[in-house]
Amino acid sequence: MEQLKTIGRELAMGSQGGFGQSKEFLDLIKSIGETRSKNEEDRIVLREIETLKTRLANPNTPKFKLKEYLIRLLYVEMLGHDASFGYIYAVKMTHDENLLFKRTGYLAVTLFLNEDHDLIILIVNTIQKDLRSDNYLVVCAALNAVCRLINEETIPAVLPQVVELLGHQKEAVRKKAVMALHRFYQRAPGSVSHLISNFRKRLSDSDPGVMGATLCPLFDLITTDVNAYKDLVISFVNILKQVAERRLPKSFDYRQMPAPFIQIKLLKILGLLGNGDKKASEHMYTIVGDIMKKFDSTSNIGNAVLYECICCISSIHPNPKLLEAAADAISKFLKSDSHNMKYLGIDALGRLTKISPEIAEQHQLAVIDCLEDPDDTLKRKTFELLYKMTKSSNVEVIVNRMIDYMININDNHYKTEIASRCIELAEQFAPSNQWFIQTMNKVFEHAGDLVNAKVAHNLMRLIAEGFGEDDDTADSQLRSSAVESYLHIIGEPKLPSAFLQVICWILGEYGTADGKYSASYISGRLCDVAEAHSTDDIVKAYAVTALGKIYSFEIAAGRKAEVLPECESLIEELLASHSTDLQQRAYEVQAIVGLDAHAVENIMPMDASCEDIEIDKSLSFLDGYIQQAIEKGAQPYVSESERSGMSNISNFKSQEQHESLMHSLRFEAYELPKSSMAPHVPPVLASSTELVPVPNPYNHTEVHYSATPMPSVSNAGSSELKLRLDGVQKKWGRPSYSSPVPSTSNNDAPKIQNGTTQRDSVGSANSKARDVSYDSRKPQVEISPEKQKLAASLFGGPSKSDRRQSSSSQKVPKNNSHSANKSHVEKTATSDTVAVKTSQPPQDLLDLGEPTGTSIPPSLDPFKQLEGLLDLTQDSTTLNTGGGSGTDAPDIMSLYADMSLSGQGNENPLSTGNDSASLLSGFSDAANRNGHGVNTVPQLTQQLSKGQNHKDSLEKDALVRQMGVTPSGQNPNLFKDLLG
Amino acid sequence: MIRGVIVMNDRGKPRLVKFYEFQPAEKQQELIRSIYRVLCSRAENVSNFVKVDSLFGQDVRLVYKTFATLYFVFIFDSSENELAMLDLMQVFVETLDKVFSNVCELDVVFNFNKVHTILEEFILGGQVLETNSSEVVKTVEEILKMERAANSIKVVPSIPGWQGR
Repeated sequence: MEQLKTIGRELAMGSQGGFGQSKEFLDLIKSIGETRSKNEEDRIVLREIETLKTRLANPNTPKFKLKEYLIRLLYVEMLGHDASFGYIYAVKMTHDENLLFKRTGYLAVTLFLNEDHDLIILIVNTIQKDLRSDNYLVVCAALNAVCRLINEETIPAVLPQVVELLGHQKEAVRKKAVMALHRFYQRAPGSVSHLISNFRKRLSDSDPGVMGATLCPLFDLITTDVNAYKDLVISFVNILKQVAERRLPKSFDYRQMPAPFIQIKLLKILGLLGNGDKKASEHMYTIVGDIMKKFDSTSNIGNAVLYECICCISSIHPNPKLLEAAADAISKFLKSDSHNMKYLGIDALGRLTKISPEIAEQHQLAVIDCLEDPDDTLKRKTFELLYKMTKSSNVEVIVNRMIDYMININDNHYKTEIASRCIELAEQFAPSNQWFIQTMNKVFEHAGDLVNAKVAHNLMRLIAEGFGEDDDTADSQLRSSAVESYLHIIGEPKLPSAFLQVICWILGEYGTADGKYSASYISGRLCDVAEAHSTDDIVKAYAVTALGKIYSFEIAAGRKAEVLPECESLIEELLASHSTDLQQRAYEVQAIVGLDAHAVENIMPMDASCEDIEIDKSLSFLDGYIQQAIEKGAQPYVSESERSGMSNISNFKSQEQHESLMHSLRFEAYELPKSSMAPHVPPVLASSTELVPVPNPYNHTEVHYSATPMPSVSNAGSSELKLRLDGVQKKWGRPSYSSPVPSTSNNDAPKIQNGTTQRDSVGSANSKARDVSYDSRKPQVEISPEKQKLAASLFGGPSKSDRRQSSSSQKVPKNNSHSANKSHVEKTATSDTVAVKTSQPPQDLLDLGEPTGTSIPPSLDPFKQLEGLLDLTQDSTTLNTGGGSGTDAPDIMSLYADMSLSGQGNENPLSTGNDSASLLSGFSDAANRNGHGVNTVPQLTQQLSKGQNHKDSLEKDALVRQMGVTPSGQNPNLFKDLLG
Repeated sequence: MIRGVIVMNDRGKPRLVKFYEFQPAEKQQELIRSIYRVLCSRAENVSNFVKVDSLFGQDVRLVYKTFATLYFVFIFDSSENELAMLDLMQVFVETLDKVFSNVCELDVVFNFNKVHTILEEFILGGQVLETNSSEVVKTVEEILKMERAANSIKVVPSIPGWQGR
């Protein structure tokens, strides 16, 4: 069989017409075989399709011809052409009494149709009939079709018959019936849940083949719920024993092995059942050991069983003897000449290192050999193993190897994977900051556009915050070395955009910090970057903002900011940019250069990127403003819940319920609007799940408002807007109930240094306020055990897990804005790492991760108060910090504060849309001033609507600000994967 | 479970395509092309396994083997064992060889409905059903006999391979 014939020989044979098909089909295949181009092939196939169309449609075509046409049609579709016109003929053919035609029909429909195709309904009846046939071959054909064609809706139509067939006298039918039932279970578990006991019953079928078939569904079932099948452990062990002792009929032998596929399935099942269960595992030790002793290393299948034994051993509760046997088997695999064996050996090694890391060390050389192997599959598997066995002592070697390999591959999917693994390992085990930065540089240089933007932000954050050591000099050394390396790299052509963003940001923040480089030098380099990447708006935005920082640091230090001519021309050019974002940034820089030192210090404080930012989610800073508006006769805002009759939503719990409710689809019917609903119905709240908020007529809500004691004025004030923005009020409406949150979080929130008023950071950084006040506590408790487990299971050695935790703890302190929490973390970081584990919120990193494409400027109304005083174009992130007092002086101060915030945090290139919106809205505000009074909300909601929901987006925005950047939204999940 | 079985020739022409989860025709073509690209780039004397998670999702692998002008490809997920799949493929080809006596590419092309019949005996709904080559041959012969009996017109001239057994 190995010596199959060559094409020439085949064609020669083909031309003799010895294949039982017509000359036409033969010619078709021959001509397709001889085509030189895809076009030529397409032409031939299209002609064939035309022929088939007319012939199939001809009612006089004899059946045997029809059959051939159908097969030709299948062939045509296999080549990638549409054959849907012929599906109906396939369906018709299943109705035929003749087995040959029926089978051809079934074959055609199973290949043509998916289970949701409209034509299936025409086959169900035939299938039902065939399942009842006396001829078991017909039944088998029908069962084959059932496996492929029946969907959730049609399962009930055939289920009773399939169940009946479980008791059929022919074992072939029983086997297929089990498989069909398994298929139903896969497709719609609910539809056969009452029949699952049948699988257990069939386990003791008289025919071992049926028993073997039953293992497939049982494997699936056990995968989903291990505990329900613990009682079967002994049965499985007994079956395995019988199989291994050759008690099955000879016909089940397969290459001199007793039923190896059944053994493999059983070993897989035992591996699942014994995982983490000492008692169950103890039953298995003997039999697994016996099988390993008996194995036959000469055949593939023998080795497959052996490999499965190792997998089982690595999964169940460890047993020293078996581990030893497994290690022996692995070394046999690794010593083999066959790449397949080596592959399995490496894979098995990866499984076993979790339990006994020292085994991998015994095979170092073999592993290195595999790493050098030309076989890509083997290489990748080896990298996977290395990834699993990385610890702080070997991280440098491993990561360097990975990077070298990464540079040389073209497969983007795998490149991304390996790049993110490098980053992950580097973050976990980095022996030194220098090494870390160098490694990240390399990864970015070669795969910068593939890795998650979040990684770039992490890098920035890390450099900004240092590694968490209390030693400030170490941090500034780190920054200096980063600046140094970036100035070195910056000239290289073809750097990925993400990397350039990091470079610009770092140079802007820390380029002049250590005094080694002059402001004009750094700004010159930044200009070069902007010019060299004139098509990349994001990079330009980063560069220009970095320029602004450099200048303001200069001014703040009492020097005059000398703007190089090239910088000047760059700014000039950007002032007229089509991108409103770039324009705005350019205006900002221009404005900053003209300010005095005191003002600049407030706008751009040094090293403020790590400051914690609080968000006032209820926008209570607007209260005063709203008050004013109401005094002028504006209509108050009535929250959504009040409108629908739920007047009192003040506790978090119900609010959460409510929110989760809003996100899911509702299947209940909407209530009729109740125009005369009583305004005070606090108890209704408990059953909020049943309530559908239906906006009541506004005149009603007004009454409502006056009747309900709603604490937050902001709610009232914004109600006006709903008149204009009905569509958005849902998104907007909800935060208003959360008014108590920010006030509490605010109180214990650290203040920004420059703030002249106590409320500095209102809208933008909200997530911290929330996270800290209650969200974060929960995940800390919940997730850390998982993390713990992951660390323990991935890296058994205590030294490694230590490292892992301590490294994560290093990163956390500054990103956790809660001051109390912060000190707590710092304290624990120095003490025992195990303690840290629980207090660490690793999901903080995750939280930080969800990149958003938008940044949400929380409020715009300072424009109105300030536009007369300053002709700066405000950043979209300007925040009203004055607590809404409405007087000018504090507002200016707050504006400065805001600008500082926005300056350090406004690297968000993607916010262009928002920015322009806000600019426009600023103007329209002015125009509208005499009109409706309050229109901050429309803009806000506009922007909010760009995020998925306001909570998410605000949270994301918070993190964005904290890191000083906006994640640009690629590969959002990648990093999540990395963190497990 | 097994996701699919593909037989294609060394120039990337599909000869037998069976996916156990429905794939629309265009998607099938795309997958076949990508798989062909992967297989072409493999050197000789390397392992028969390839990770194809970029095509099929997490943890999906394929096993391939060349028999003369044909690539045989099994695609499956982590609930199957690579080596066992390789062996099953061997049995599948052995069975084809028995049924067609000295199977060659054109046998597969012209009789791919029979090849499907054989495959159905081995794998049903993505699960391995039978691994015994002679059992499969027996069943297939029985089916064929029935078909012949039912089809007295004898449209299909006998194939040398079939008469031999």
